[in-house]
Amino acid sequence: MNFEIRIRGQAQAAESGDGVLLEPLAGSECWTLVVAGRTVPVRVREQEGRLLVTIGADRVEVGVRRASASSSRGPSAQNGADRFEVRAPMPGLVVTVPVAAGEPVRAGSVVAIVEAMKMQMEVVSPAAGHVEEIRALPGQEVAGGQVMALIRVPASAPDEGAAR
Amino acid sequence: MPLPRRLLVANRGEIAVRILRACRDLGIETVAVHAPVDAGAPHVCLADRALPLPGDSPAEGYLNRAALVEIASRCGAGAIHPGYGFLSENPSFAAACEAAGIAFVGPPASVLRMCGDKAEARAAVEAAGVPVLPGSGPVDDAEVRRAAEAVGFPLLIKAVGGGGGKGIHLVRSPDDLPGALRLARGEAQTAFGDPRVYLERWVERPRHVEVQVLADAHGGVVHLGERACSVQRRHQKLIEEAPAPGVSPRVREALLESAVRVARALRYRNAGTVEFLLDGDAFFFIEVNARLQVEHPVTEMITGTDIVAAQIAVAGGAPVPFSQEDVRPAGWAIECRISAEDPHGGFLPSLGRIDGVIEPQGPGIRVDSGFRTGCVVSRHYDPLLSKVVAWGRDRSEAIARMRRALAEYAISGVDTTIPFHRWAIEQPAFLRGTYDVRFAEDWDGAAPSQEAERLAAVAASAWLRRRAAAQPRDGHGAGPASRWIAVAREEGIR
Repeated sequence: MNFEIRIRGQAQAAESGDGVLLEPLAGSECWTLVVAGRTVPVRVREQEGRLLVTIGADRVEVGVRRASASSSRGPSAQNGADRFEVRAPMPGLVVTVPVAAGEPVRAGSVVAIVEAMKMQMEVVSPAAGHVEEIRALPGQEVAGGQVMALIRVPASAPDEGAAR
Repeated sequence: MPLPRRLLVANRGEIAVRILRACRDLGIETVAVHAPVDAGAPHVCLADRALPLPGDSPAEGYLNRAALVEIASRCGAGAIHPGYGFLSENPSFAAACEAAGIAFVGPPASVLRMCGDKAEARAAVEAAGVPVLPGSGPVDDAEVRRAAEAVGFPLLIKAVGGGGGKGIHLVRSPDDLPGALRLARGEAQTAFGDPRVYLERWVERPRHVEVQVLADAHGGVVHLGERACSVQRRHQKLIEEAPAPGVSPRVREALLESAVRVARALRYRNAGTVEFLLDGDAFFFIEVNARLQVEHPVTEMITGTDIVAAQIAVAGGAPVPFSQEDVRPAGWAIECRISAEDPHGGFLPSLGRIDGVIEPQGPGIRVDSGFRTGCVVSRHYDPLLSKVVAWGRDRSEAIARMRRALAEYAISGVDTTIPFHRWAIEQPAFLRGTYDVRFAEDWDGAAPSQEAERLAAVAASAWLRRRAAAQPRDGHGAGPASRWIAVAREEGIR
């Protein structure tokens, strides 16, 4: 997923790569940032579509914008419709796929059940629409993030995802 | 008189926890009281017994004098510790406790009344030969020039009926006096319906130094040294330290001796704080805080005393448990008040649920805290969450330990004053120990360093990537965790 990061209105070159780690420290906001071997405690708080990053005595307001369309959107939007990819939340074994191509689904409908570490997890459709394609079969091993199904959504349908 | 067998703590938050700990050390059973919203609070969980206060209002309960005395009587508490704030300096509450045969851990009602009347206290202190800020009574236009010469310039013209900063005018020279007087009178009349004004010496950049005293019913008065409290914002202290830096031995001696004189003049009893303003080497009495103070731990750290334990003993009629010769301050202690306020947003209260905390630990660090993970910071109470106290053999070691502690402290869920403190302890004036009451005005929470901006950009993109990876369905529907639980439960039923 690509983001455009702005500080004081200026786009920042997002340094990333293998040298950068963000390890949980306390609660939902406190982290240890590891960058180029240096560790820095940071607090990141999301507020009204921006991130407030506190480092030492400083607070930096970071504006965030998706640089491209949501990654879980399909690359194409044909015939006034849009597609969502349903991805495996973790690596595991596909237990069942209770829907078939062409069937209608609601937001939250179970598209598949994946099992790992003797626990099962539901994989749900992010939006109401029709199943366009099933890409995972029962008994199949899937990787974390692997696309398991495509859901086609009419363009006029309310799109909860765009605002998030 | 022996210690009480059972004591009720009529407070909440970090100070209630502090008092409960002293009781535990003394083998005294404890009773906590709580408003409905504080049902699971740390002070409730730490006490031997916990009883709800009547009423639904969060603040009302802790101020309900009759209910507190009734609860204490009902559960056989021989003493009530009021902490600070709430009813701690309320003469009628102290009297009600006394009438019910319950020891009020603080000064008697008569002393609380005297300390609460600033004019009366000031007159008694002046009569005892302790310097007070030069000032006048209400002045009329004819005598104002003579009164002003007596007070000295610069001076303030203040409204007799005033408050909230209205009707106050700074006058630097005699030439400015007539104009300022006219303005001040007009404002006083408009704002308070009372045109009377008086004069008071203006101290440009004073330092705030206070002395901890302990007095008993047998005439014993002991001081525990002084504290410097000049890091303030809107008259709220943010950082305190003991001893006071930049005070000569001669001035220190005079301050300590004056504080004891004040305590004797007011027939003071129990723990109290005598506050002074320092202007160069001159000092002036301001007021007595007739209670345990937030910043008492810095004094405890350098004197090795337990002020709360001494308070409880003295309230039971015992003499102060140590003599002046026993008090031998050692090392240096600094306290930072950690409040749920946004230092980058004008120190506005920051409300929310604390969903994670890592408190600093290690040599020389004491944390007096009244919250934990899961606590909700509401608008109903004081925003003070905890106090970090660092002790060192000298001031630089104490600062180094504070630096380490503040870097370790992680609180998730609300904004806190930690960033302000990290700034403050690195300022040259603080490091030199030459800061005054206007020190905190230099805090500029708006301009982050370039390095912070660079790191923030890296942290933000790492945070966004991490969240994207954790939410493969782009935020739709229930999160993975709740799905896990739902399925696991169904599995269990089958």
